[in-house]
Amino acid sequence: MALLTDDIQTRKRAWPKALTSPEFSSFVILCVVLAGFSIANDRFLSPLNVSNMMAFLPELGIIALGMTLLLTAGEFDLSVGAVFALGPVIVMLLVQNAGLGLGWALMAGLIVCVLIGAVNGIIVTKIGISSFLVTLSMLFVVRGLALYITQGFPLKSWDQPGLLVTLLAGSFAVGTFRFYTSLWWYVALTLLAIYVLNYAKLGNWISAIGSNRSAAVARGVPADRVKIALFVLTSVLAGLAGMISAFRISAASPVAGTDYELEVIAMVVVGGTSLTGGRGTILGTLFGALLLRAIRNGIVLIGVPGLAFNIFVGAIILAMLVLHALMQKRVGGVSR
Amino acid sequence: MMAEVLRIENLDKSFGGVRALKKVSLTLNEGEIVALLGDNGAGKSTLIKVISGVHSVDSGKIYMHGRPITVRSARDAIDLGIETIHQDTSLAPDLSIARNLFLGREPVKLGFLGVFAPLDRGRLRQAATNLLRRVGISKALDANAPIRTLSGGERQSIAISRAMQFAARVIILDEPTNNLGVEETHGVLRFMKEMRDSGHCVLFITHNIHHVFEVADRIVVMRGGEVVAEVVVADTDLLTVESIITGADFSQLLKEAKGARKS
Repeated sequence: MALLTDDIQTRKRAWPKALTSPEFSSFVILCVVLAGFSIANDRFLSPLNVSNMMAFLPELGIIALGMTLLLTAGEFDLSVGAVFALGPVIVMLLVQNAGLGLGWALMAGLIVCVLIGAVNGIIVTKIGISSFLVTLSMLFVVRGLALYITQGFPLKSWDQPGLLVTLLAGSFAVGTFRFYTSLWWYVALTLLAIYVLNYAKLGNWISAIGSNRSAAVARGVPADRVKIALFVLTSVLAGLAGMISAFRISAASPVAGTDYELEVIAMVVVGGTSLTGGRGTILGTLFGALLLRAIRNGIVLIGVPGLAFNIFVGAIILAMLVLHALMQKRVGGVSR
Repeated sequence: MMAEVLRIENLDKSFGGVRALKKVSLTLNEGEIVALLGDNGAGKSTLIKVISGVHSVDSGKIYMHGRPITVRSARDAIDLGIETIHQDTSLAPDLSIARNLFLGREPVKLGFLGVFAPLDRGRLRQAATNLLRRVGISKALDANAPIRTLSGGERQSIAISRAMQFAARVIILDEPTNNLGVEETHGVLRFMKEMRDSGHCVLFITHNIHHVFEVADRIVVMRGGEVVAEVVVADTDLLTVESIITGADFSQLLKEAKGARKS
């Protein structure tokens, strides 16, 4: 059955395969940005500053892992910033006001995150409303809930150290650098996500669902169940990241994580994951997370005035996306 | 008498208030090609989606080799040996050829890990290469190339190879020659004949009546959700079939025209 008239020569790539991958362009951009900031200000790579960046990195980075998988399956979640706030608020309220043990409180907080993710997922898949609308509404519900149960005030600062707190937000020194345990969480979760997306059967299903849902369903892939599970995962990771953040600064605030949803989506997309589903890269998301963190940190160091800060963040992200698109076009990542 | 493979009896399906299928009965035999014809909205696609597990039925029975079966999902249909090639494409454009060929049936290592089990990449690539070679398209295609880099005809042949590979007993094709070039169309028709000759039963939907007369053994015509006619290709002609599809009696018109000419 020789249906094919094309000849193998026409498919030869102009560039070697590794150079054409979307994560490679993100990596190049990241290197350029890091080099640029270190030249502009030599304090950029100082131990204190690197430690600072590494403290913030896992918090958004962990959410970005879930968001990458979700985007690859063709959906996204705008409620993560609000869940980031609600998770730790529930935990600390339960401990401080209800006298619950920290372990139980953490579990309760995570169960609430599971429920939020499940509601998002079930409405999106079973009722068929777009994830934009569902999770936008959920953003208001969850943020409102966090504000209401705290009456709008940040909670009392946390003053009970313990094993669980150390596990979430302990810190250790390596030479003159200071690292938080959350960095290990981030590294472990990143490796796990890379494995799932690129090597496991589930990853094949996730990409197939985002690429052509009806094709996946026609091959017997349980698309709805996978999507619901990914909504739950994203929500749980957002809650976990919120708890890590709250214990690191020893306080939970109902307005924590405002606008995080967009920053996380920016990290994922800057990393090379397709906004329309089907193509996702965890490694790219890692580069994206590093990039956005470096930009936020670097433009302060080079003396951009505080109020002009977001102008630069937005403009740089936009420039990255344009550069990314151009590099992808140049290496022929998109054809026909 | 050829052995019966799939028999459906009194299938009913409604969407809201619309009855898409009304008491549809149909039998498919081993080693035959059946063409399913009808105008848009006649219920052909709905019937196919019911058989392939995309839609569930309201009432009616499906038998495979005489035994009653229930097709609740696409998975069930595949497991029963019913392979469907849906209209346009049933492939995921961002996945590689190899991954598409085995989507939903991935070879894995450490199977006890369930959905977290690692894909057996070596076996996947090997099986894909073998399959492509078997259907004669190995030299032009890299099993790791994403589907989106292929042409429409190439995609169709990948979808067909996938149906072949699982040696399905029943192969259903929904407008398989849509958007294909002349050569590719002949490839698809040749494939259907090969499948028939190896004992499969092939059911296909098309709007191209010439293809029907080229390959089909039997024609089933649907109109308004009902099967209105079943004819053996050898016993009929193009005009008769067309008149059954539209419901207009062309043969009567033709007779009148002939009579008018005579007088």
